[in-house]
Amino acid sequence: MGSVELKQLKKDFSGVTVLQNIDLDIKEGEFFALLGPSGCGKTTTMRCIAGFETATSGTIEIGGKDVAKLSPNARNCGMVFQSYALFPHMNVFDNVAYSLNIKELKKNNLFKKFGVYTRMLNSKLVKYPKEIKEKVNNILEYVELSDHAYKLTSELSGGQQQRVALARALVMEPEVLLMDEPLSNLDLKLRHTMRNTIRRIQQELKITTIFVTHDQEEAMSMADRIAVMKDGEILQVGTPTDLYSNPKTPFIADFVGTSNIIPGTVVARENGLTTVRIGEQQMIKSATQTEQDDVKAIIRPENLTVIGEENESFDNTFEGEILFATYLGSTVRYDIEVEGHKLVVDTTYESGNQIRQEGSKIKLGVLPERVLLI
Amino acid sequence: MRGLINKINGLGFVKFLIYGFFILFLIIPLLSVFLVSFTNEPINLFGSLVSVDQFQRTVEQFKNATLENYKSIFSYGHYFTGLKNSLYLSFIVSILVLLLCMPIAYGIARTKMPFKKTISALCTIPLIFPTFISAYAFIIMFGRAGWVTYIYQQLGGEGMLIDPYSMTGIALVQVFFFFPYALWPMVAAFKVSDVSLEEASRNMGSKGWLTFSTVTFPLALPGMLSTALVIFAVSFSDFGTPIILAPSDLNLIVVDAYREIAGFFNWGSAAILTVIMIAVAGFVYWLQNFLLKGRNYDTLSGKPKQVKLNENKALTVPLSIFSWFVVIIPLLTLATVFVQSIAKTWGLEPLPTGYTLDHYRTIFSSSLGNIQNSLLLAGGALVLSVVVASFVSYFVVRHRSTGLDFMTTVPLIVPGIAFGIALIQTFNTAPLHLTGTAFILIVAYSIRRLPYMVRSTVGTMRAIKQDIEEAAINLGASTLTAAITIIGPLMLPGIAAGSVLVFITVIKETSISVLMAPPDWAPMSLAIFQNVLRAEYYSAAAMSVILVAMVLVLQGLASLLSNRNKT
Ligand SMILES: Nc1ncnc2c1ncn2[C@@H]1O[C@H](COP(=O)(O)OP(=O)(O)O)[C@@H](O)[C@H]1O
Ligand SMILES: [Mg+2]
Repeated sequence: MGSVELKQLKKDFSGVTVLQNIDLDIKEGEFFALLGPSGCGKTTTMRCIAGFETATSGTIEIGGKDVAKLSPNARNCGMVFQSYALFPHMNVFDNVAYSLNIKELKKNNLFKKFGVYTRMLNSKLVKYPKEIKEKVNNILEYVELSDHAYKLTSELSGGQQQRVALARALVMEPEVLLMDEPLSNLDLKLRHTMRNTIRRIQQELKITTIFVTHDQEEAMSMADRIAVMKDGEILQVGTPTDLYSNPKTPFIADFVGTSNIIPGTVVARENGLTTVRIGEQQMIKSATQTEQDDVKAIIRPENLTVIGEENESFDNTFEGEILFATYLGSTVRYDIEVEGHKLVVDTTYESGNQIRQEGSKIKLGVLPERVLLI
Repeated sequence: MRGLINKINGLGFVKFLIYGFFILFLIIPLLSVFLVSFTNEPINLFGSLVSVDQFQRTVEQFKNATLENYKSIFSYGHYFTGLKNSLYLSFIVSILVLLLCMPIAYGIARTKMPFKKTISALCTIPLIFPTFISAYAFIIMFGRAGWVTYIYQQLGGEGMLIDPYSMTGIALVQVFFFFPYALWPMVAAFKVSDVSLEEASRNMGSKGWLTFSTVTFPLALPGMLSTALVIFAVSFSDFGTPIILAPSDLNLIVVDAYREIAGFFNWGSAAILTVIMIAVAGFVYWLQNFLLKGRNYDTLSGKPKQVKLNENKALTVPLSIFSWFVVIIPLLTLATVFVQSIAKTWGLEPLPTGYTLDHYRTIFSSSLGNIQNSLLLAGGALVLSVVVASFVSYFVVRHRSTGLDFMTTVPLIVPGIAFGIALIQTFNTAPLHLTGTAFILIVAYSIRRLPYMVRSTVGTMRAIKQDIEEAAINLGASTLTAAITIIGPLMLPGIAAGSVLVFITVIKETSISVLMAPPDWAPMSLAIFQNVLRAEYYSAAAMSVILVAMVLVLQGLASLLSNRNKT
């Protein structure tokens, strides 16, 4: 198992640049997510690592070795395809055993080679050796598919197919596991269970994993670190909490979780607080120090507090009108208009509480430490 | 060097071999026949590569090259008549086929005519016959001693109803045995013609026949024209009918070309006729593609609209009767051949004098070798075309190899006789003296039928997603291993369907067999052909029945296979 390092990776498709300045340093055993909207180049990055695309420039190292000269079948990257790409004419067992057969093929003489080929074409004709049988059975047990070993893959449910794809990649003991939107074809509930399954297996095997997704919730809940991509470039790399609390750009702030993004101008810097004018009257104070004058204030919905009868003191207060109230179970989300800005506020909902009326006035407060200026 | 070897991986090597195969057995022969049409004597291209003397001789031949041949063709010579007659024949046949098919196609596509299913099924019968068998069956029916002639004379007619040994005879055989090639495309064209337009027309008060002539028919017209061109090409390239039926005073280009090479070893004339045949067929093919450009009958109407089938008895009953009249003739031909094969003697009477299985006994004692040859040759051609077609479709779909795509369409254009002449000429001398071997015969068969095979395998290949192959490579397989263990098995249904087609067409193949088969490798088609020429009709009939039975069994097998794949 190894680290993965990309340096200044660039990829053009017939003159059009789809990836540039890609620098990534993925540590051994890390669960690393590539997060970004569709079309931003995640799949292309992954295909460069797996060797299906040749980078226009830049280097890729796996386990400290430059892999530029290695063909895709020599890179030992286990890949789980978005479509699973299971072999439809083989049963589950044969699918999983495929890479082990290939290894047999490479180390044997011509006569034995013929036997292995025959087995790959019809596993009823030539028996598997004991080691292969054991390995495959172990991994099938591990992904809870032992009962389905001799079924055709088309007879399995989506989640089971997903696990076959995973087992097939894992059994070759790859240096890195590459997963391209592996959960996007599953329904919501299954997606949640599979998140846990994948995370558990990754933790137990300590396998370096690169996980591609466009779903920020998926990335946040599974990955050790996340790289946020947009238009073929990496915007920020960090842990989920890092990205959430310190997004470097408004795009990330909005893409990773929900944010209120309010444009304004700095009017004063004093006592470690920066004052920003966001409307005719309305000011907002932030603990962020900045040189810029034109800034965007970022406030997470849950950091806005509704000020009611209880007299809390805030440096920042806003008055606004409720446009919508959305009941979300444990929280209530209000869409509020404050001096032409639309803000979103999440409040915890305790049973018995009244949900505020749409159209009614509301008063909000936020701590300067919770206002980020970008 | 090592680097180079590493770069040319297994699959690259296979691609190289396949290009080599096409260049050696298709491109060079066609090129060489083209050159011979100028030099007037055979040239030895391969010899020129290995021997200096030969090279100098070839250079000398080129120096003496002339346009004499071309001049003589266009100055109203013997060959010009042949070309003119052939074009006329093909033109007449395609018009007649169109007229014949239009009512049947309309009946099948748009009406509930009585016996529709049976008629559709019977319409496939003509395709199981090699044309020279149908041609000689026409002799047994319409000839001087034929039973049709007998009935005609009993009814008071004089002489023969139709003289089979004439342009009319040839045209009729071709019409009744080639019409299915046009029927199914026409049925498709009628099915997709815009039904809503027709309804609009009818809503505006148009009568049924008016709707047909102003809306339905014009919409189906381009499809029909291209179908007519298909028939034109098939008729123009057909060798079996004219070689049996053309009287000595009727020149047809295929027969002329055959005689030049098989009778007089007149290389120059054979070459020029070959070039002309290919030029005509190529032009027709181009014209057809030109007509169909941007038009795809499968996708024209997005989602299939439910056609309201016409139930008007006044229309459907005549349509059905007409269709029966058309399909009954191939059926009678089949019956005639069968009766002949069990007849003691059958002269100018409606029925034979007695019945016997002797003809079959003769075949099983003396001609078993021909059956065996047919099976072996067809088997060889099958294996070769399976291997080549599988890899070709891989390269065409995955590597977008336009070169190979082109190479596999060329045999569609080249008439069998022309291809045979090109091969004989090219491989006639050392160092590659292959003419007269079973090997070159198998190569000829498989190249000729490769387009069908490739069409079938390319279809399946396209259905195999790229990422399945990538998954195999990701798991450590080389591209060649992935091709063998993943792509190969997934292509099996397409290969099976193509294989049956190749096998059947090779068994039926006439022109290549007649031209190229050495005596000790004579297949059934050649044996029947020779029997017909020797007027040994009884054993020819028995052998024909066996051939047709084999084709039928194979076709049954094919539909069984395709049904199983569907479920
Ligand atoms: N083979 C290719 N040829 C040309 N353009 C491509 C190819 N593959 C991907 N692209 C382009 O590269 C960009 C990134 O694609 P991709 O990596 O698939 O994005 P993602 O996986 O993030 O959705 C897209 O604009 C896509 O159109
Ligand atoms: Mg993608």
